[in-house]
Amino acid sequence: MDRQLIARRLPRCPARQFVLWLLPWTALLAFGLYAAGLCLVKGLNQTNMDNRFAFGLWIFLDLTVIALGAGAFFTGFLVYILKLKELSAVIYSAVVIGFVCYSGAVAVLLVDVGQPLRAWFTFWYPNVHSMLTEVTFCITCYLTVLFIEYLPIILKNRKLRQVPSFLVFEFQLHKLIYVLAGAGTFLSFFHQGSLGGLYGVLRGRPFAFREGFAIWPSTFFLFIISAVAVGPAFILLTTWLVSKISQRRLVKPQVLDLLGRISGLLLSVYVLAKTVDTLIWINRTSPGSGFPAWQYYSWNPFGTWILFAEIVVFGLIPALILLIPRLRRRTGWLVSAALMACLGVALNRFVLTVQTLALPTLGFDQFVSYRPSWQETGTFLAVVAYGVLVYSFSFRYLQLFPQERALEAAPAAEAEPVEEEPVLVGRYSL
Amino acid sequence: MTRYGMSIDIDRCTGCGACMVACAVENNIPPAPEGAGDRKGITWIRVFQVNNGEDGSNRKSAFVPVLCQQCGHETPCVSVCPQQAVRVDPQTGIVGQMPERCLGCRYCMAACPYHARYFNWWDPVWPPGMEKTLNPAVAPRMRGVVEKCNFCHGRWHAAKERAAAQNRREIDPGDYLPACVEACPTGAIRFGDLNDRASVPARDARQDGSFRLLEKLGTDPKIHYHSRQGWVRQIASAPSGKEKARG
Amino acid sequence: MQTTRRDLFKFAAGSAAGLVFTPVPWRLITDTALWSENWPGIPRPARGEIHTRFTNCALCPAGCAVRARCVGPQPVALTGLPGQPLCAFGLVGHHLPYHPGRVTQGALEQAAAAIAHRDPKASIAVLDLRPGRTASWTYRRAMAAIPHGLYLAPKRISPAVNLADAKTVLSFGAPLLEGWGTPASVFAARERFRLVQVEPVPSPTAALADLWLPIRAGSETALARAIAQLLRKQALPPEVAALTGIPEEQIVSVARQVAENGPALVVAAEEFPAMSELNRLLGSLGRTVFPRREAPVPESWTRAAAPVTTFASVADHSIGVLLIDESAPDTYLPWSVVQKKLVPYDPLVVTFASSRAGYGRHAQYLLPTAVYPEITSDLPPALHSAAATFRLAAPLVAPPAGVVDPPTFVARMARLPLTPALRERAGAIHQAGRGTVSTWRDGKSVPVRQVKFDDFWSALNEGGCWIDSQGPQAPAPQMESGSFADPPVEQSSLPLVVVTTAVPQPFSPLLSKLYGESNLRLSPGRIALHPETARQCGVTDGARAALETIRGRAAVQVSIDSGMPPGVVRVAATPALLDLCGPSARAKVVRV
Repeated sequence: MDRQLIARRLPRCPARQFVLWLLPWTALLAFGLYAAGLCLVKGLNQTNMDNRFAFGLWIFLDLTVIALGAGAFFTGFLVYILKLKELSAVIYSAVVIGFVCYSGAVAVLLVDVGQPLRAWFTFWYPNVHSMLTEVTFCITCYLTVLFIEYLPIILKNRKLRQVPSFLVFEFQLHKLIYVLAGAGTFLSFFHQGSLGGLYGVLRGRPFAFREGFAIWPSTFFLFIISAVAVGPAFILLTTWLVSKISQRRLVKPQVLDLLGRISGLLLSVYVLAKTVDTLIWINRTSPGSGFPAWQYYSWNPFGTWILFAEIVVFGLIPALILLIPRLRRRTGWLVSAALMACLGVALNRFVLTVQTLALPTLGFDQFVSYRPSWQETGTFLAVVAYGVLVYSFSFRYLQLFPQERALEAAPAAEAEPVEEEPVLVGRYSL
Repeated sequence: MTRYGMSIDIDRCTGCGACMVACAVENNIPPAPEGAGDRKGITWIRVFQVNNGEDGSNRKSAFVPVLCQQCGHETPCVSVCPQQAVRVDPQTGIVGQMPERCLGCRYCMAACPYHARYFNWWDPVWPPGMEKTLNPAVAPRMRGVVEKCNFCHGRWHAAKERAAAQNRREIDPGDYLPACVEACPTGAIRFGDLNDRASVPARDARQDGSFRLLEKLGTDPKIHYHSRQGWVRQIASAPSGKEKARG
Repeated sequence: MQTTRRDLFKFAAGSAAGLVFTPVPWRLITDTALWSENWPGIPRPARGEIHTRFTNCALCPAGCAVRARCVGPQPVALTGLPGQPLCAFGLVGHHLPYHPGRVTQGALEQAAAAIAHRDPKASIAVLDLRPGRTASWTYRRAMAAIPHGLYLAPKRISPAVNLADAKTVLSFGAPLLEGWGTPASVFAARERFRLVQVEPVPSPTAALADLWLPIRAGSETALARAIAQLLRKQALPPEVAALTGIPEEQIVSVARQVAENGPALVVAAEEFPAMSELNRLLGSLGRTVFPRREAPVPESWTRAAAPVTTFASVADHSIGVLLIDESAPDTYLPWSVVQKKLVPYDPLVVTFASSRAGYGRHAQYLLPTAVYPEITSDLPPALHSAAATFRLAAPLVAPPAGVVDPPTFVARMARLPLTPALRERAGAIHQAGRGTVSTWRDGKSVPVRQVKFDDFWSALNEGGCWIDSQGPQAPAPQMESGSFADPPVEQSSLPLVVVTTAVPQPFSPLLSKLYGESNLRLSPGRIALHPETARQCGVTDGARAALETIRGRAAVQVSIDSGMPPGVVRVAATPALLDLCGPSARAKVVRV
């Protein structure tokens, strides 16, 4: 029925099946929008956040999703700046994922603040000392960059391509791709770092406070490294997942292998840096603030197991798996390691947002716990549903995977080298 | 140039709570709606009961009022606000919060180690007719903004106006007292200019047994606490991993 | 040349681009910030000239002086005088007229008719929950004029106490540091005396006392008697230590302290005979304990007034009509105690109150009264003064239409001539010629002899205070005492001993700062349990539970307090919970 909108020679499921796939996600989105609407209309008392737990599920979600969406800028950096051509197989998918992640995060942020209508105040009265100003500026700019990068992918749709002015516009836009990739990398470098800096500068929270280089705490750099480490892993994960759901071969195995290798390498660097940083923090920074480090882990349920889990179980182990070629070749290991890497980054963000606030700072404080309310969970699920919906539409109607058509034509043998379909810019190849 | 601060004698505080109520009356803080517990309430000054962990007649308790410490050095909340809605007033040293500019991102609340900042989770609602009793000198805040103690800054302005009306540049020190200081029946909370060596808080700060909360963090708070009981002085430092408090 | 559509578009685009260089859009942007500050629904405080008025606080018998800042007729802030601050409840007294639970309508005619049609042989009584006022004299005169009329006080009038001269204070649960009497005078004296607090639960007073004796609830009388025996140089009964839970050495030590480190003073939350005996043995009478002296009363009143009877000494099932003056309640007698004195068939109970929370739940008629700061009344004699005092709580705002003045109602019912009683009383004081009158606006104290009556009366109406002169004086009418017995002990098989902490009612919603928005005080409707006790009952901190006594059950919320003794449940009691618990009750806590 919508065959006209789907690219030629790209088999997609029948329209009815597609609608059936969309229905539960649409329902989830509607429920989530209702939950978010409640928070906007009735106020943030609808959540379980409170004066001790000023940040909750949403901030944790924002940080995680932005880290996972780092694949967009990093893949762009690798393809357009470092000229790693193999990864052009996933660049469009990465851009869509990045767009979804960032736009979802910004939407949740608007619900999270007490006065969304004053969001422009940060641009009008910026505070140059605040990491959050930097985050706001960079994320807004980067969202614009992502939108501009998403636009050509949309305009390459089979039907839209037939409008000549769109084609010309898209071609002109694509000439900017290097500028966009460079700008995106630059902006992302800063906001990924600043998100880490948000917690690293908190002198009043010695659990999160870190020393660093000039005005940037070590968490600034750790967040960047962890984001670029997990970005390819997330792309790997999503590509595999989409491939499984759509039952299509979307990319050559070498692409996933390359993504895994990059991720493993960066993850090892991250684990090393994180270990060094943790040791410095335990032995120097935290005691210097008058807070012995062992005391943080004396509060149930956050024992030292969480530190071990973050660095070793979900950090070192997936890094090693991804570095060993024999394991990397097996899809099961590859995907599991990518998943563990993503969970490790999520755990790291959780530790810095939730555990930081749960721990007492005053001598007569108590350890406080927090569980998100259904309105908060609903809003979070709305973002997930929104992401799935946008990606589903993009996957169906746009050509996200340039290698798909070639893989469709080639036989199942994976060892055979296949003529790679060049990345098309309109009718002009790269 | 003044640097207003307080000295709080913990041995004198009886936990009567008059300071908490006087603060709420002066600053038009609304009563708690249904469902607001002690974690969502707004208490610019809050009195905690701490004890020494023993049982029976060996159990000793003390009451500790905690309010915004008006940090003087690398004030945590000032540097983190993305909208510059928090400012240290150079004339008085008071850390002022502008609810009109506050976006409600609550980053300052995460930054404050003293938990002295409060968010308006609800719109303020007073029972019908009770709005007539609001203090005309202070504007009520709407939901979604952060607020905190500002040493009743409006009273400083009023004292300045009175001084100006009498052609004086400096205010009369006795003319400016925050509501909590005025209400304390035992005189546990004393207020004055820390730059004036003869003022009560400045003298108390120099006494033995005087301490500040979380001094090692380096925030240079302007609230000096005092107690002759050694176990009370322990509360000024980091948590020990054992729960010993209520309030 | 024709203007085409393109020209219009070009003009519009150019104007838009040019507008950016004018202040207009930037001004509008900044203005939206202003619009977002003040949404409808956020109240705006009334503006106006601020002026100061003075009165005395009528929330408790301490009657602290109040300085009210008013905008027009409306007080917006209440403070005490310099050096004499108000307590947390007094600071928000001006909210009470707008209390959400306030009652302003009542069936006045029906109540009057029902009283008029009562059985003439049944006795009619007025239960005055704040005795010692001029209104109390009106009730006494009315009850003298009516056949079978009784004037009832809820309990014995406690004596006046001088903390300033005491060196050792033995307190049986008196909340000395929690708003007992005038906060300022208690704290001013605090440095000079050693406080021994005998209390089953860790109240703030117990926490701050020099010595806290965590006595087993209900055994205060035994301890007082044991100390009395020690003071008489007799042996300590061996079973006292086990009964009270206090080691023998400590009892002996406390007895020695009160005997040797005098002047000593024994106070209690509720007076009981053994403790009065202690005061007598210690020679406190005349040194730290005094009879409560009243200000002079018109001769005609003393001649025609019913005696003061304590509620406990009334015969059971004898009262046919009970009028309860709850307009300024200082004591709440549990309903079971009240009900026992009413005739079993068709008793008529009329209560004068401003909220339904008290006896309004049981009375046939609830007649609304004014609340502080609307009321015009005098205050009972001060708790801390050996000399008589007289102070008026002058109204700061007008009461709403429809409220009843209880003494006027009762006087009309008894067909007494309706004279302005307060003015008459002031006249008698002025005529006696003793004492000084202090005014707060100028801070002056002037002997009454030098003041004309009209000036005296207006000084009183502006919150002034009359204090009798020290030294020999004509014996002032003293307040009577009635029967005086040890508090009863309930026998039942319920596992937990109940200790109630009464919460003064009504209180402004702003006191949620102390109750809900912090854990400084136990909120009304909450109970406190020891962690082990809570575990045995199957409840956790913050859980909803049911408190069961022999009189019924009520929903409560649990707080865990490791300072509580095991086996005791502390109840922050509303009148409904006081009804449930009764005097010295036992209870069970169950999870719901």
